[in-house]
Amino acid sequence: MPLTGFLGMQYNFQWSVLWTGGHGEWLIQGIVTTLRLSALAWILASLLGILAGALRTVPFRPLRAVATCYVEFFRNVPLLVWFFFWYFGAPQMLPRAAQDWLNAHGPEFWSAVVGLSVYHGARMSEVIRAGIQSIPKTLLEASVATGLSVGQAYRLIIIPVALRLIIPPATNESLNLLKNSSLALTIGVAELTFMTRQIETYTAKAFEALTAGTLIYLALCLGISATMAQVERYFRIPGLIVRVGRAEH
Amino acid sequence: MRRVLSVLVTAVVVLGLAMTGWAAESTLEKINRTGVFTIGTRTASPPFGYINKQNDHVGFSIDLAKLVHKNIEKKLNKSVTFELKESQPATRIPLLTSMAVDLIAGTMTDTRPRRDSVDFSLTFFVTGAQFLVKEGSPIRGIQDIGGKRVGAQQGSTNERIIRERVPQAQLVVFPDQAAAFTALVQGRVDTYTNDGIQLAGLKVKAPNPAEWKIVGNFYSYEPYGMAMRKNDSDFRAVVNNALMEAIEGGEYFNLYDKWFGPKGELPYPMTDDVKSFLMYQVVPK
Repeated sequence: MPLTGFLGMQYNFQWSVLWTGGHGEWLIQGIVTTLRLSALAWILASLLGILAGALRTVPFRPLRAVATCYVEFFRNVPLLVWFFFWYFGAPQMLPRAAQDWLNAHGPEFWSAVVGLSVYHGARMSEVIRAGIQSIPKTLLEASVATGLSVGQAYRLIIIPVALRLIIPPATNESLNLLKNSSLALTIGVAELTFMTRQIETYTAKAFEALTAGTLIYLALCLGISATMAQVERYFRIPGLIVRVGRAEH
Repeated sequence: MRRVLSVLVTAVVVLGLAMTGWAAESTLEKINRTGVFTIGTRTASPPFGYINKQNDHVGFSIDLAKLVHKNIEKKLNKSVTFELKESQPATRIPLLTSMAVDLIAGTMTDTRPRRDSVDFSLTFFVTGAQFLVKEGSPIRGIQDIGGKRVGAQQGSTNERIIRERVPQAQLVVFPDQAAAFTALVQGRVDTYTNDGIQLAGLKVKAPNPAEWKIVGNFYSYEPYGMAMRKNDSDFRAVVNNALMEAIEGGEYFNLYDKWFGPKGELPYPMTDDVKSFLMYQVVPK
């Protein structure tokens, strides 16, 4: 479609480059890599986040200090730097044999998984801490009064309630995580953004490729938002919280 | 509500018309209006475009672009500011088409698919792809890279050739040269491939140049050209005339000597073939 003068650009749009010449397969591979990377990192980040978030609220100072150090150290350094650290720096500390093994098993992808999950785990933990701290102290006291230990009270009462409260901000974090996975291209992970740039390289059609990337990220993120809204509805505890309105999707 | 809508529609239409107005403006008209000539170039590709130890943005391509700048001033008969912007392989075509820069003068290879999107000047440098390896590596050329981890730069033509010609090689593609070279230094990849001249630039700048070796015959042909917006033949003539005059008058070869001569940043003697090729590109006055 020749469209001269659109936004001041002299440019001929040619959308077919997105699916001809095997470029459609690249996009699909890119989507799969992005989803695999994000899903693995999301699981790890959630586990780290729950652990660190809970530890930051426990009534035992050394544990709180450890968790605070983790959070402040990892969330206050740019993600790009972490990617470089986990890919270029961290493996240097391993013995030679371990490095060779790593090099033979796709170090780019696994460095990105670690980088993304540790960084987002730190951010996720703040969301979880906020959830836990929004629960009245009396709930913990009441739980302990029923004969539960503090650990049990956390595992059975506090965290399940907190997890429900934090679904909206956690959705936010999850969307950020998915979008931040695009930075992994800097260490050579062939994810979605990488693939759109790859198409640009082969066809010199930058606007088509970037538009495709934009729309795919938008669709993926809307999918996540919709899923999380369903999760929120499914797990809600009737009568626990006064709802002003539920998320519309 | 309806009034708001009609105001919005009018605004969009007016804006659209205004933008079509800009689009019709040629590059020379734009430079004349703004008084600025902006080029997109590299910041980490010595000696074509890089930041040197004195923190100046210099290079062979930048020097050639300065000759174009002089020619533009002559053509417009007024002085024009010369500005530099960083352009990466993935951003250089959008930078041009969005009018952010007027000319790409870096390390861009002239290819047929790229000619669908942009126009190229004369070829101002000729090189070909090779491999950079650590001294003692078993890799001697493209025949040895099957199953090896090969670093490449995204957006380069050689990455594409490897993908097609040696699909068994495990390509690891980085967006910039610095990351790719670090991966080679740290042993994350077995070799790094790029245009021979770029590898030579990396080797010279490495902390211990003797540790690195450039191997293999050219497995690609990489003619570097300056890129500009399509269908702007007046501007293209200004660019090409500047290059032709430089080749004809010998200034090109002085600049070549400054950067690639025995005392230059990166000694890389010009072969007789390349010299005649450059001379034959110059059409008569």
